Amino acid sequence: MLDIRGLAKSFNGHTVLDHIDLSVPRGSTTVVVGASGCGKTTLLRIVAGFESPDAGTVSIDGRQVAGPDRSVAAHRRGVGYVAQDGALFPHLTVGQNIAYGLPGSARRRKVRNRVAELLETVSLDPSYASRRPHELSGGQQQRVALARALARKPVLMLLDEPFSALDTGLRASTRKAVAALLADAGVTTLLVTHDQEEALSVADQIAVMRDGRFTQVGAPQHVYRQPRDRFTAEFLGDCIALPCTVAAGFAECALGRVPVGHSVGDGPATLALRPEQLRATIVSDTAQAGGADDSRGGVGTVIATEFLGHDVLLTIDPAGDNGPIVVRQHSLNHPAVDAKVRIEVIGSGVALK
Amino acid sequence: MRPRWSRIAAISSTLAVALSMTACSSSDEGDELLIYNAQHESLTKEWIDAFTEETGIKVTYRQGGDTELGNQLVAEGDASPADVFLTENSPAMAAVEKAGLFADLNQDTLDQVPPQFRPPTGKWTGVAARSTVFVYNTNRLQPDQLPKSMTDLQQPEWRGRWGGAPAKADFQAIVSAYLQLEGEPATEQWLEGMKTNAKIYNDNIATMKAVNAGEVDGGIIYHYYWYRDQAKTKEGSANTALHYFKNEDPGAFVSLSGGGVLKSAKKPEEAQQFIKFITSRAGQEVLEKGDSFEYPVASGVPANPALPPLDSLQAPKVDPSTLDEQKVTELMTKAGLL
Amino acid sequence: MVAPPLSRPAIEVSRSEAAARPGPFVSATVAILVAATCIPLGYVVWGAISVGWSRAYELVVRPRVGELLVNTVSLVVVTVPLCVAIGVAVAWLVERTDLPGRTLWRPLFVAPLAIPAFVNSYAWVGVIPSLHGLWAGVLISTLSYFPFMYLPVAATLRRLDPAVEESARALGSDSAGVFFRVVLPQLRLAILGGGLLIGVHLLAEFGAFAMVRFDTFTVAIFQQFQVTFDGAAGSMLAGVLVLLCLVLLVAEATARGTARYARVGSGAPRAATPIPLRHFAIPATASLVALAALALGVPVWTILRWLSIGGTDVWDVDAIATALGQTIGLAAAAAVLTTVLAFPVAWVAVRSHGVLARMVEGANYITSSLPGIVTALALVTVAIHFARPLYQSVPLILFAYVLLFMPRALVNVRAGLAQVPPGLEEASRSLGSSPTATFFRVTLRLTAPAAAAAAAFVFVAVATELTATLLLAPTGTRTLSMLFWSFSSELDFAAAAPYALVLVLLAIPVTLVLFRQSTKVAAL
Repeated sequence: MLDIRGLAKSFNGHTVLDHIDLSVPRGSTTVVVGASGCGKTTLLRIVAGFESPDAGTVSIDGRQVAGPDRSVAAHRRGVGYVAQDGALFPHLTVGQNIAYGLPGSARRRKVRNRVAELLETVSLDPSYASRRPHELSGGQQQRVALARALARKPVLMLLDEPFSALDTGLRASTRKAVAALLADAGVTTLLVTHDQEEALSVADQIAVMRDGRFTQVGAPQHVYRQPRDRFTAEFLGDCIALPCTVAAGFAECALGRVPVGHSVGDGPATLALRPEQLRATIVSDTAQAGGADDSRGGVGTVIATEFLGHDVLLTIDPAGDNGPIVVRQHSLNHPAVDAKVRIEVIGSGVALK
Repeated sequence: MRPRWSRIAAISSTLAVALSMTACSSSDEGDELLIYNAQHESLTKEWIDAFTEETGIKVTYRQGGDTELGNQLVAEGDASPADVFLTENSPAMAAVEKAGLFADLNQDTLDQVPPQFRPPTGKWTGVAARSTVFVYNTNRLQPDQLPKSMTDLQQPEWRGRWGGAPAKADFQAIVSAYLQLEGEPATEQWLEGMKTNAKIYNDNIATMKAVNAGEVDGGIIYHYYWYRDQAKTKEGSANTALHYFKNEDPGAFVSLSGGGVLKSAKKPEEAQQFIKFITSRAGQEVLEKGDSFEYPVASGVPANPALPPLDSLQAPKVDPSTLDEQKVTELMTKAGLL
Repeated sequence: MVAPPLSRPAIEVSRSEAAARPGPFVSATVAILVAATCIPLGYVVWGAISVGWSRAYELVVRPRVGELLVNTVSLVVVTVPLCVAIGVAVAWLVERTDLPGRTLWRPLFVAPLAIPAFVNSYAWVGVIPSLHGLWAGVLISTLSYFPFMYLPVAATLRRLDPAVEESARALGSDSAGVFFRVVLPQLRLAILGGGLLIGVHLLAEFGAFAMVRFDTFTVAIFQQFQVTFDGAAGSMLAGVLVLLCLVLLVAEATARGTARYARVGSGAPRAATPIPLRHFAIPATASLVALAALALGVPVWTILRWLSIGGTDVWDVDAIATALGQTIGLAAAAAVLTTVLAFPVAWVAVRSHGVLARMVEGANYITSSLPGIVTALALVTVAIHFARPLYQSVPLILFAYVLLFMPRALVNVRAGLAQVPPGLEEASRSLGSSPTATFFRVTLRLTAPAAAAAAAFVFVAVATELTATLLLAPTGTRTLSMLFWSFSSELDFAAAAPYALVLVLLAIPVTLVLFRQSTKVAAL
């Protein structure tokens, strides 16, 4: 329902967006994730109508709203926009803020009822309507901003790093609540963030952006499990990269033979594995080095452990002259330092050039 | 709270604009005679009050300085709204006359004024007069140390000892008489002498007060400021006395205050009436009996008893309509006084 | 919020915004205003051209002009740093230390703005009759204008993030070190802005200096124009004055660099803990008392003294009431008009980048540095030759006031506008309000306090304006300043005193409003 084709934008000779194509299906949530300065906010602002593109088009619901020849003004696009810091109007009460985009005076009963309704949708007590923005906490302000944008029942919601200003503790719960809200409302949403965990949890479709281009666009599971390049792999989560040699659908590496998906061609490559694919189990001193399991793992010695509460990070020095590997696993009964462990590889890896 | 403030602000500002429009709109009711007045406001007000009482004609005026109003009249040309022009000195009248803006005055008005107090052209007339004097501090100067002539003041021995107000039309009128009497080179020289010797003050009163305070030994001013101060608190002149140069010296110049009717006057009849009134017995008696201490010039009215009679002053003969203020300005600028 | 690096002022813009292009209505208004500011300039230039090069050279390169140059430049060079020192010191004492009676001192040092410079001059001449020359000029202008420095510096001090100074302390700086290395650099913009404003006032002031016989360019120009309506010598002097103003502008622009007055940030930081003065409290209080006595005590006492000398005779209630009504009417109308017109100009200055914005500001500042008389005479000439009906009319004098006082209004409106984050305007647009509706519903409401301060400033300025009013006032209009001037130039100080009193009383409530607004809005 949102169609972006060939979007390009430069500021002062510096290219910020370089040929962006993106489609957001109706009712779904797409998250554009990337580091600060990669261009994702500019993309959002162009869709909102605050900037105009140098090239390319943006269409909402089949109607072209931005293009080289014609541009629909921001206030006519019917798009809901939630800024990074909420951008609540300080001179209006919460209720007046929410009612801002609604026709009619904020005092009319119909409007007041709608405001109360919206406040409930964002899990805020209707009594908040008479408060002023500065009396609310960051999380509450964000929710009011959301309610305000939703008031006009927009066809498209744009959220610019909506949770980055919140305390870490709040972030997760607010995120969940907002995602649920948007999904319930069935609103098409485009969200940008630099937080990969946020992106993965909220998105139906994820687009990884780097220096104005998408490196990969797809479902979160897919992009996470099958990253197309090293950058995407490392951006979306911890990644263990091992040099390997690919031959006939398998990669030979320090951890043995690991199956790889659609291959990148035979020969030397880098094998990318996720930490959850590795499991370290203690091996007794007397166990044999060889064995049927050799092809699915390697042996090493734990040289360091880092207790993280729920998880523990084990730094393991594998046999042979390969670098240490970091394995994350649950912390119950984990191998201690100097223990000999076997590293098992679960599932298949991705070979990248 | 805020919405109410902005509403109040909006209403009050609209009111303010409306108020200013009505309060300040020019009195173009067409009923009133308009004078461009460069004379002292108090004196003109007396004249106006007496005139309105006698004739019932309402008068309004625009206050300003001689050259300022004169220049404004010249710039306005026939679009000027003024009916009458009154000045303190003659050069401004001469300038306006030169621009051809005055109407001929009625003969019966001119008949009231002796010929030495009005230009031969009949385009305007003197309505009052004032004499140049040298005011000096009696503690610092003895009568035998006083300058014999105004030209003496350019000599080195007077360095830092006298003051004047070259920026004002009063002083410029005196210099314009000097120019007519002594010629350009001598005037130039005298002005250079003034630049070296004199302390510059803003106006006559400031000069007088400075002399009184002993800042300078003496100064060139017009007589009536001294008399006015003497009649009041004397705080500007208690330590001073006046020295009249006499002997038809340039320093004895008697400056004529002028009155004229503009050709472009909307109410020429009333304007002529006004000039006639102020040069009539009734008008001139305001000068005799009032506290302006300026000299009457018309209808045989004598001066205020406190003043020395006008004919005893031995003033030099100067044609008032040929006083060249432009030249004076030029020379003063050249000398660095302006 | 991350604390900014120590060497840059806290109020600089922290992200590069895309240039906002002003709409056609705004551009047209701004273009007309810029064209209008060219009228006085054009008049001066035309005067210069019509005089011819050799005569122009003759008129400019002469000893008298040298005299005036020395006087004017010395005045600026001595007074501005003095005002900086006094303004910053007072602001520091009042805002940052535990000086006793701070809540009283704060509004007190805004009060000198209620006393026009020429009334101050009149007061000092009443106390020391022989006061004249450069030091008289410096004394009177410093006492009259230091609030222009004190206000923005105090407002900025209030908004500085104390975390920055605390970090400096933790790094080993003592109080003096913190002040000079951390606080002062952050005050740079406020000091530059205040300094420019004071410089501009010094160049344009007439009455105060005329009364103490200190000949600056403006005094000389006034004399010239009184004597020869559009004389060549006068236009030449005006030309040199314009050049001086350009020098000031360039100096301020260079010192300011690329920093702009926009302020980004989430709300005011917490208040800094006051620095204890201990044994400095007594000398500090004593010097503040002395300053207040000089700046306020002398004028007030002199006016009261003259009033008691004059008795009831000097109170011509009719004349005073009429003058009061006319003064209020003109001042209020001018204030509203100027503030409204300041918005588009401020918009261009704050929201768009580049040469156009600075040109617009520059044009306005140049006009305000021309003495009111030059603008007035230019308008008189234009009106007489091209627009007769406007001559000696209220619209013309209001127009002159707009030209003269736009910069004062601009400083406030610009600062207020800069504090409305564009994010709020974008949010409003995304909620369906067109740009015009957004302006009225969001921007205007948030800028209202600053706009009120701007209007207050202009009101006071117009109520106390003298030279342009003398020339342009419609016949029958006699404002309070005009009457004050006509009495005091006849040295009838007692008769002038009631007008001085009314002028000051008129200015006080407006000055209080100004003060209240300045506590809410930074940078004047």
